[in-house]
Amino acid sequence: MKKVRLATVWLDGCSGCHMSLLDMDEAILSVAKRADVVYGPLVDAQEFPKAVDVTVIEGAVSSQDDLEKVRTIRQRSKLVVALGDCAVTGNVPAMRNTTPPRKLLERIYVEGADAARGIPSDGVPALLRHAVPVHEVVRVDLHVPGCPPPAKAIAWVLGELCEGRMPDLKSKVKFG
Amino acid sequence: MSKITIDPVTRIEGHAKIDLFLDPQGEVSDAHFHVTQVRGFEKFCEGRPFYEMPSITARICGICPVSHLLASVKACDAIMAVAPPETALRLRRLVHCAQYVQSHALSFFHLSAPDLLLGFDSDPARRNIFGLIEEQPELARMGIALRKFGQQAIEGLAQERVHPSWIVPGGVNAPLDPAVRDHILAGWPDAMAIARKTMEYFKSIVDQFPEEIAHFGSGSTLYAALVNGAGDLDWYDGTLTFKEADGKVAAAGVRAQDYPLFVGEAAMRDSYLKAPYFKPVGYPEGVYRVGPLARLNVAAATGTPLADAELAEFRQRFGPVVHSAFHYHYARLIELLHGLELMKLLLDDPSILNPRVRAHAGVNALEGVGMIEAPRGSLIHHYKVDENGAIRWANLIVATGHNNLAMNRAITEVARHFVHGKELREGMLNRVSAVVRAFDPCLSCSTHADGTLDLEIRILPWQPAPGV
Amino acid sequence: MADQISVRIDGEYVPACAGQTILEVARASGKYIPTLCWLENIPAAGACRLCIVEVSGVARPLPACTTPVQDGMSVTTMSESLTRYRRTTVEFLLSERNHQCAVCVSNNHCELQAMAQRLGVTSVHYSYCWPKLPVDVSHPRFVLDHNRCILCTRCVRVCAEVEGARVWDVAGRGVRSMVVCDANRPWGESRNCTSCGKCVQVCPTGAMAEKGYAVEEMVKHDANVRRLAHRQGGHV
Repeated sequence: MKKVRLATVWLDGCSGCHMSLLDMDEAILSVAKRADVVYGPLVDAQEFPKAVDVTVIEGAVSSQDDLEKVRTIRQRSKLVVALGDCAVTGNVPAMRNTTPPRKLLERIYVEGADAARGIPSDGVPALLRHAVPVHEVVRVDLHVPGCPPPAKAIAWVLGELCEGRMPDLKSKVKFG
Repeated sequence: MSKITIDPVTRIEGHAKIDLFLDPQGEVSDAHFHVTQVRGFEKFCEGRPFYEMPSITARICGICPVSHLLASVKACDAIMAVAPPETALRLRRLVHCAQYVQSHALSFFHLSAPDLLLGFDSDPARRNIFGLIEEQPELARMGIALRKFGQQAIEGLAQERVHPSWIVPGGVNAPLDPAVRDHILAGWPDAMAIARKTMEYFKSIVDQFPEEIAHFGSGSTLYAALVNGAGDLDWYDGTLTFKEADGKVAAAGVRAQDYPLFVGEAAMRDSYLKAPYFKPVGYPEGVYRVGPLARLNVAAATGTPLADAELAEFRQRFGPVVHSAFHYHYARLIELLHGLELMKLLLDDPSILNPRVRAHAGVNALEGVGMIEAPRGSLIHHYKVDENGAIRWANLIVATGHNNLAMNRAITEVARHFVHGKELREGMLNRVSAVVRAFDPCLSCSTHADGTLDLEIRILPWQPAPGV
Repeated sequence: MADQISVRIDGEYVPACAGQTILEVARASGKYIPTLCWLENIPAAGACRLCIVEVSGVARPLPACTTPVQDGMSVTTMSESLTRYRRTTVEFLLSERNHQCAVCVSNNHCELQAMAQRLGVTSVHYSYCWPKLPVDVSHPRFVLDHNRCILCTRCVRVCAEVEGARVWDVAGRGVRSMVVCDANRPWGESRNCTSCGKCVQVCPTGAMAEKGYAVEEMVKHDANVRRLAHRQGGHV
């Protein structure tokens, strides 16, 4: 049976959803049988590959880099899954949205520094005005809310997707 | 000279980008470690009631939320001016140890073992936990089981594995159920067996990496860690001690509230990650390291027998103060044993079941600092509140941040030794990533300020490097 | 006893009297209609629009909590379009202010969160507004976080009808509406608040909470308030 090409990505997230994914413990072995993890923090691929079957995205879209990354991902993936509240609703990263980025950066790098004060400007991407959920930037095929979503729910979702079925989450998950 | 990009640095927590500057001969003259994301916790927390901070700051990191929860509740305890009941402190220590077990297991097995066991130069497509599952299934299962033990212990104590809201200002919000205690103890022997087996296995292969050991951040730095009054390791409640590269004490007994006298933060022009430095020495020379290796360099002993036996052997092999960042892996495994030993001690004591686990109070001080040793290093949460308990100001100095300057140095060293632009091979660049992995950085944490690290290694034509 | 009239709900004849609302009749017959701003024994407001139902012969859905039954009325409580509208209502509520369930004191004990889960809302289709809203921590025992408020006005009604202090009101219009204390004073400076806490207990979200309850700890208990309202002669 042809293995499903699976990618996992984290944007402005805390990696908690990836930890919850690993919290399926030994069930990861069955995932490994059905899917080839072709890109992600746990593997060494350097460039996001083409023709990915399923990409799971954790984290909000917060910087220019995130924006470009998520657009590339959408182009190269058949299915995009937004995993966790940050990717689905903005969640905690979005708490910065009521402050203009300039003020944020001044607080951290000018008021908040004892030496070499100044806002970083070299080789670091600009912040978007808002940290937003993934679907405000690209089309998302499945939302899995939770902070993090329970390991069992993630395991079930991956299982269904690997069998070519779109899971019906309805009331199985909740925000928070 | 063409530009080569390694993007991202993989098998670390978060994102990072590295620039390598080559001279006309194709050799590396300088390297920089870029954090390309920033998140804003210190700013957007303003106005929130202080007792929400633990769960908010837990969202800085999904691997070590317990660390942030603990540092945060300690700061809240100070604002409330309460002393949590003794059992609450034991329970906090217990969940802290469980987190060490799962976090160090993750770091070793899931993130670094692919390099150590499959090889730094092995096929990148298989050099990961999934490749490990296929090539070394027994070891992979051991890693999964050990992480599971830690996570299940956290789940038993706190009802949630990631971002548990059980840890609260004043203590914890529920006592320990005896059935949970028994369940954790039942799983303990297997977990300990795995930890010991892993330690033995690692000791048998560590001599296979002489080049890496010699060049992975081997330069000396200061070391910082929390220790107790006897000078032994104290993950939960020590005072901060700084030691010089030769083991001499540079500063000792620094209490949480006094950290600003010794730790300053510098902004960096090309990174969203600030660089903490040792104030008495100044910026940028005041480089110090934190984390497992630093802790074992600073502490006299861990305080538990098995770990101390391994520590003695470690020092016999590599010296009283060990500098090579490669040995973070060895130190991590010693700490795994220590964490498990501590868990047994705490669980075997019947007072762990006492029902009084929380102190209640309002605002009794307008400032609080909580300091603990997270798996990756010293962690500081500093809050100021108004009379009504709303956060006016917050400062967070996170483990990986302390290591920023040291990581920059280590990357430069590794790149200079291993990377040769004229005959570039993937394994060379993997080693640059691997030294980052040795530090086990938590970049989501360190860029709480705003963002994550995106690791991108670019090899650029030589130009006079800034500041040279 | 008021006159008996003929009312059908979901095709079934149910006991009904003139003067009752659709919601009262439905509840008395064990028929479920989702609600959020409604609270037993407190005057209804029709603020949240979750309880909308279809009534034969009426072009648009009507709120069950404020619509009186009429003789011969035929009501549908559940349909595909009603479910869609109700989901949209919840999504509007979630997008209008800042609801980070994960770090809220009412996480797992919140009526808005529970309603979202019940209706199968797994994402919000509308752009989030991210308004900048204050947190009033001035009261020694309670907190009002406007980020979490859905303007259900339970606090307004309970304080007016049950406690009688009339501390809370709504100021502003449309999306800029805000619950205000004592004609817009910080809660801690209120001249009329008795600190009874009824508003906190009936607030369906984490907008009003007791100080010191950390994330996920704020469990509300409104049974006493409802019972008191009933004894005082309160009605729907």
